[in-house]
Amino acid sequence: MGPQMTTTTTDRPAAGRGSAAGPASTSGRARFRRIRSEVRVLTGLGHVALAVWAVLVIVPILWTFLASFKNTTEIFSSPWTMPAELRWENWGRAWNEARVGRYFVNSVIVVGLGVAGTMLFGAMAAYVLARYTFIGNRFIYFLFVSGLAFPVFLALVPLFKVVENLGLLNTHTGVVLVYIAYSLPFTVFFLAAFFKTLPTSVAEAGMIDGCSHTRLFFQVMLPMARPGLISVAIFNVIGQWSQYQLPLVLLAGDEDKWVLTQGIADISVSAGYEADWAGLFAALSMAILPMIVVYAIFQRQIQSGLTAGALK
Amino acid sequence: MRQGKYPFVIGFLAVPVTLYSVFVVSPYLQAFWLSMTEWRGIGAPRWIGFANFERLFSDEVFWKAVRHHGVLLLALPLITIAIALFFAFMLNVGGGSRGGQRVGVRGSGFYRVVFFFPQVLAVAIIAVLFQMVYRPDESGLINGVLMKLGLDPIFFLINPNLALWSIIAVLVWQAVGFYVVLFSAGMASIPAEIYEAAELDGASRITMFFRVTIPLLWDTLQVAWVYLGIAAFDAFAIVAVLSVDSGGPDGATTVLAMEIYRNAFVYSKYGYASAMGVALFFLTITFAALTLRVSKRESVEY
Amino acid sequence: MSATPDTSPAYPSTGTAAPSAAPGTTRRTVLRRAAAAGLLVTPAAGLLGACATGGDGGNTEQATGEKTAQNPLGVKEDAELEVVIFNGGYGDKYATDVHEKLYQQAFPKAKITHQSTQAVSTVLQPRFASGNPPEFVNNSGEKFLDFGALVNDGQLQDLTEMWDAPSVDDPNKKVRDTVIPGVVEQGMFNTPDGQRKPYVLYYVSTVYGIWYSGKLFKENGWTAPTTWEQFTALCEQIKSKGITPFGYAGANAAYYMWNVILSQAAKVGGPEILRNIDNLEPDAWKADAVIQAARAWAEIGKNFSDKSFEGLKHTDVQLRQNQYKLAFYPSGDWLENEQKKDTPPGFEYQIMPMPSLTAADKMPHGAIRAAAGEGYFVSAKSKNPRGGMEYMRQMLSKAGARGFTETVGAATVVPAGSEGYQFPPGVASSQAALKAAGQNVFNMMFDNWYKELDTEARTATNELMFGRASAEQWAERIQKRADAIKNDSSIAKFTR
Repeated sequence: MGPQMTTTTTDRPAAGRGSAAGPASTSGRARFRRIRSEVRVLTGLGHVALAVWAVLVIVPILWTFLASFKNTTEIFSSPWTMPAELRWENWGRAWNEARVGRYFVNSVIVVGLGVAGTMLFGAMAAYVLARYTFIGNRFIYFLFVSGLAFPVFLALVPLFKVVENLGLLNTHTGVVLVYIAYSLPFTVFFLAAFFKTLPTSVAEAGMIDGCSHTRLFFQVMLPMARPGLISVAIFNVIGQWSQYQLPLVLLAGDEDKWVLTQGIADISVSAGYEADWAGLFAALSMAILPMIVVYAIFQRQIQSGLTAGALK
Repeated sequence: MRQGKYPFVIGFLAVPVTLYSVFVVSPYLQAFWLSMTEWRGIGAPRWIGFANFERLFSDEVFWKAVRHHGVLLLALPLITIAIALFFAFMLNVGGGSRGGQRVGVRGSGFYRVVFFFPQVLAVAIIAVLFQMVYRPDESGLINGVLMKLGLDPIFFLINPNLALWSIIAVLVWQAVGFYVVLFSAGMASIPAEIYEAAELDGASRITMFFRVTIPLLWDTLQVAWVYLGIAAFDAFAIVAVLSVDSGGPDGATTVLAMEIYRNAFVYSKYGYASAMGVALFFLTITFAALTLRVSKRESVEY
Repeated sequence: MSATPDTSPAYPSTGTAAPSAAPGTTRRTVLRRAAAAGLLVTPAAGLLGACATGGDGGNTEQATGEKTAQNPLGVKEDAELEVVIFNGGYGDKYATDVHEKLYQQAFPKAKITHQSTQAVSTVLQPRFASGNPPEFVNNSGEKFLDFGALVNDGQLQDLTEMWDAPSVDDPNKKVRDTVIPGVVEQGMFNTPDGQRKPYVLYYVSTVYGIWYSGKLFKENGWTAPTTWEQFTALCEQIKSKGITPFGYAGANAAYYMWNVILSQAAKVGGPEILRNIDNLEPDAWKADAVIQAARAWAEIGKNFSDKSFEGLKHTDVQLRQNQYKLAFYPSGDWLENEQKKDTPPGFEYQIMPMPSLTAADKMPHGAIRAAAGEGYFVSAKSKNPRGGMEYMRQMLSKAGARGFTETVGAATVVPAGSEGYQFPPGVASSQAALKAAGQNVFNMMFDNWYKELDTEARTATNELMFGRASAEQWAERIQKRADAIKNDSSIAKFTR
């Protein structure tokens, strides 16, 4: 994989540790000192910047949690003081009246099925388009990829009609199918590129062994494409989880089926009408907290999945 | 290898292509047709040819939105990538080398976890969160502090010169962590020997960053630019929820998606809204074509 | 989505009965006059030909039942009924706890589906487009459906039969005779083929003005100013006490402010100023009275308001008034109910008309904007429009009106419903102001007719009040938009 850099481990300057065991020559020592001081400045600055950014990320979220225990007067008068007491009733209100719990479960259902379907169908299409030549291949590929350039906004009203004509309005099935359809362009684009990089020798060997195309795909190619699948799945989870406009239109008629983003946005409007800011903060906290938990458990997978794929 | 190919190909493509045609292609085609009509959303659309587009080109708000996309398209990737690159460099290489391994500064793992977190939150939720952060009075997270210190509050979302930047800041806030992780992975795959050789040649950290890290990360940077460019064309959720007056003050933060939404769902001008959608489509296409052309620079093999 | 509050009230009327006051002839006369004087909504026919074709999917089977004394509208007793209520200042409890129960009592076999929303058009637009609308709709709030478009498309049920049906409480009295005169006419629209039919029920009496706390004023020995000099002098005093004298919420409720400016203009130049604006007359926004009013209020914004209000929502600013940090706040009389939860005891909401700007004002100080607000309609293309009309008949019963008034503390257009009811201080004061105004009642409708003009006026008003535009620039840009609308053949025009 490219040129091998030669180096000797013995005289490598141990800049990071500030070790006294430096190279023998004076010029080397001077250079070493320069590097060391430069490292200090850079590291110092870098530390400050990193810490500041960490604060920027953590503080608003922490503040939301604090505010979720305050009452409206406390929120408006003193954003920086602790709540006088832990007002769990705010959480109760968000959970029961604002129904954050239900929205959350709905989101999990819709995104779970949506991503599963997207991965299955996206991988199937991408694989065929990447590794088989047939009439219309380029056309279908570009049809999918051009979807990347289409703003979803353009399609909203006609899309609604299509879903309604199929009798899928206000159903999770309808939303899941639409999610899959709108996730296909990126998934196909990404996975097709990925499948192209897989060595052909394995596939050929498989075919010689009498593997059918289908078995080859499911038993050989899919496992080989695992890093790519993981990363694109993560992109899709993030994308579908954040989706706001589609469910707003497709699930509008049945509040029981709303997803989380829809619910929170609605609560934020309601807070406007009813001035229940504490309830809004509690609802926000409820939306954020499980994400922290999931992220804390899976962050390694999320990050490694991302990196494995995005660099291909 | 060719035997039974077509049944297999058709079998694999049937479901995805059907789903895609029904839910994506057909609504888009209908939307193109709608852009040539006058339609109030109720009743039958009336064909009017290019009249919507003529109106569009003399619509100040439309041009305002287009300009904002221009700003977003430059600022969002530049700022995000600059910050993310710096952090990624600090987290991976900034600590120098230890036991033959390039390492990041202390606490790298922690920073990476924290920085990435906003990425798992939905934009609509982040927008609600920053409504609170930016509030113009003492109940705002930032202005609460400023006013306690006896300073004047900053009108993040009200000052027309500041509002768009306040929104860009939120987008950057959310995106940086993702790109830190993305770039970190890229940096981790750069062989340590390259840095060592550069170091032996007397290269400073800054030289190393520009002469070694960036060229070797070129592919990743390209990916980042494309993702952020797409984000710049779809700032609807954040603008709709966060800005005052849905894209205000006086259109200072509006984007095409916002105007499409307004024309369709507030003014019931579906034909005109569709024409804006078509314009947005061509802008996006242009961006994609330009990016592909510009970034087609040879990446460095190692 | 930022949502602006409100009950987009439209048609001028006063329709209310103050508790002790007998339904005075004066008020009746006013209403009749108002109705006759030009509430006849006339879409400029000819421009609408294109839109006149019916929507698709209008072939739904519609439920009918046998007409009886108990069921004069011939409702099919087990037909489903879907009710959509705007969940704004009045909430939706009045529907779930009162009106839907009344309907259920009358038709125990019917299944009622209730939905409440803050964004009516977002939820319903697609359903009208696809020919599957709900039976009964409370079309209100910032995101209400365009009435003109609905009328032109034949989506609204002709309510004539409902108005002519015997009322719930007295079979010898038609429904139309149980409401304040003028109400039926206010909901009338001209159809594209030139007929004039009642399509909309405006149910709630709404009075607009500037609100203050009776307690705060009493404690400080302040009285409601009647002239501009008194007003500015009082603002100075209030300011010196560390209280913000005047404010409105720029983030989502700028229309409360253009309402103030235009109300002021109407007092200076007479109500025809507003009629010209509604009718998109040339240079209507540049009339002297309008510029004068805008200039005066821009000064108030500059000297006596708080810059941060531009970024706040209406409830934030209203809360400040409840905390005695803000003295004057412009709104309609739904305000008191909306703030119920946050109003401290003894706050005592009080309304005042705009102070008189000049000695030469065409209307007296007591002149006030009043309207029958909160529009309700029945969808002609729904599955059960008769059920929708019956629901309306139940709403207009004594029990229905009384229940509404008791739930939300506001008066309806059914006088029998408010008889003997003790209104809370704010509504009592607006009822008194309305009575005092006598015939000097005015209204405006352009925001209901031309959503785009409303949006432009909101934006421009924020620019004006927060010091980024002069009164002339303000008028100039709104006039420009009004002219553009006038010249846009795709927009249905109305006149009064």
